[in-house]
Amino acid sequence: MITRDQLATLLDRLVEKNKVIAPVSDNRGVVRYTAIRTAGDVAWEFDRAKVPPKSHFLPQTEELYCYDTTGGELRIEPVPAAGRAVVFGVHPCDLRAIAALDPVFDGVFKDVYYLDKRERTVVVGLACKQVLPGCFCRSYGIEPTDGEGADLMLTEVGDRYYAEILTPKGEALVREFPELFSDGGVEEGRRGKEALSRELAGQFQREVDLTGVKEKVDTMFEHPYWQEVARKCIGCGICTYLCPTCHCFDIIENHSGHRGSRLRCWDSCMFTDFTLHTSSHNPRSTKKERVRNRFLHKLSYHNERYGLAGCVGCGRCVAECPVNIDITKIIADIKEVD
Amino acid sequence: MKAVIDNLRREAVRLLANDEVKMVIGYGEGTDASRTTPYFASTPEQSAAFTWGPLCANNLAKHLLDYRYEDTRLAVVVKGCDSRGINRLLQDLQFPRERLVVLGVPCGGQLDRNLIAPEIPPGARLQGIEDTGKVYVLVTDKGRLSFPKDRFLMPKCYLCETNMPVVADFMAGDPVPSPAREGSDRTAEVNEIEALDVAARSSFWDNEFSRCLRCNACRNVCPACSCKECVFEQAVPGWQQSGIIGSKANSLPENMVFHLVRMFHVIGRCVDCGECERVCPVDIPLRLLYRKTLKDAHILYGAGTPGMSTEVQSPLSEFSPEDPEEFM
Repeated sequence: MITRDQLATLLDRLVEKNKVIAPVSDNRGVVRYTAIRTAGDVAWEFDRAKVPPKSHFLPQTEELYCYDTTGGELRIEPVPAAGRAVVFGVHPCDLRAIAALDPVFDGVFKDVYYLDKRERTVVVGLACKQVLPGCFCRSYGIEPTDGEGADLMLTEVGDRYYAEILTPKGEALVREFPELFSDGGVEEGRRGKEALSRELAGQFQREVDLTGVKEKVDTMFEHPYWQEVARKCIGCGICTYLCPTCHCFDIIENHSGHRGSRLRCWDSCMFTDFTLHTSSHNPRSTKKERVRNRFLHKLSYHNERYGLAGCVGCGRCVAECPVNIDITKIIADIKEVD
Repeated sequence: MKAVIDNLRREAVRLLANDEVKMVIGYGEGTDASRTTPYFASTPEQSAAFTWGPLCANNLAKHLLDYRYEDTRLAVVVKGCDSRGINRLLQDLQFPRERLVVLGVPCGGQLDRNLIAPEIPPGARLQGIEDTGKVYVLVTDKGRLSFPKDRFLMPKCYLCETNMPVVADFMAGDPVPSPAREGSDRTAEVNEIEALDVAARSSFWDNEFSRCLRCNACRNVCPACSCKECVFEQAVPGWQQSGIIGSKANSLPENMVFHLVRMFHVIGRCVDCGECERVCPVDIPLRLLYRKTLKDAHILYGAGTPGMSTEVQSPLSEFSPEDPEEFM
């Protein structure tokens, strides 16, 4: 168990030697995972961060290396390795999303940038205290108190947090600051967590039945349904940029004179130029192909490649889509259409 | 409200049944009680799903651009603010008038989803909406929810310029009172920012732009952004992007270039529908930026809000010897 004050002390102590990323609310109340300077920066009462914590492991813009060609000679300067980091306050859907990203960057191609940060980062999960209208993680088998994917999982119970050590990294973190954690009241904490879990389970407004959805959607590539959905779509990147499992990127050069760097930037399959070939041919030339691709990726491709769901039910796209394209409705429709 | 919905559906059925249009673009039921969704009907039967009310914030004029190179006739439902977008698209020759049927709806103000959503009981299903004059009542299966118009409308509605469409071939209802607040000053917020010194102004916008995700929602929803290919996406291979405006790199300078270029591009064309601000996922006060250009265009050229009529040219599309030219 750990009290709020001790947790704040823990974050303050961690800041001394680590980059600590936590939900921070800005002047307009937009919550994002941002590096904090003190525990005072943390938005303790946040419900769901607008941008998921994937931005720590896969930053929107990331320098891969720098180069210098002064004097006609090419010198490449690798970007320094990531330092120790702690991501604090990750909700169960986002924890599961990180697990869904891991095989993408740790497959045939080992992505050193992602894996380096993943290796040196301790993930501290935080159970949800409420279910938002867009949330449907439960349909993906995630309870809003689940710690799967966290190194250390915290659940607020009364005026303290019930802390579960789930990995050696989590254990090392607790061992580093034994004076901040206590064994007293652990049983009460466990029961409190169970009660919270039961309470939250009854708060879901959105539930989808995924039975047979992958099989059905796999037969729907040419279905006119996609045209119907695509008519609404304005082709912005909100759903992909706010999605905790979307991970597409583009590589660009940023150079000036003899110096420059190579950057990796988030890209979105909703953008017209995402699949644009240099020949000017575009295999996904209309919104129909782009919208279809997004939903096939979420509901089929990711599953096919990694055996993991491509959606975790965080509800961000449901909440933010300007035209109310709602993946829970898409799933229900897929089951319905002929 | 029900009468307006009935009129709209009847007109949509008539237009589709008589083959006067191929498709009607309007609003359909949303996936929760706080919103609607753009809805496209191609058959008279589908027209039964059209709805209308204070949850119809989307400006549907933008969807016309998806069909600009086709030869089909379309009908689109517009509110007062949206209708200015129709006029602008017509003026910019982005859609031919003869292929368009404008279905106007009288708007008493749109509810702010950010304000009403927290008040709606979990899982409530919308059964109807009543307008009592001062209050919108959302009738749901979990009770009647009252939203007084003086507290729950979108901020833009309190500054409303035209709550009745400025262009319409068919009106689905009688005029209703404007939601504009008496004595409201559309330039008040701009004046506040202008009053700051340069450093404070710069830091205000730096702070806002640094949050931008570059999701392009503001651009994609904007009826003034009608370019077939946006300047930010012109065919420049990624590896040559440096030095060309706008790469996908997210940084304050890049974000600022994006927003300021967009701001300059929409001068004289931004109809002040506020869609950019509604859709921004990180709450950048974009409308404030474009309002500044509206104010300046008014001071410099006497220009009114673009799209109020198709008779008045955009100030930057027209040269007059009387134009101010203090920079010459």
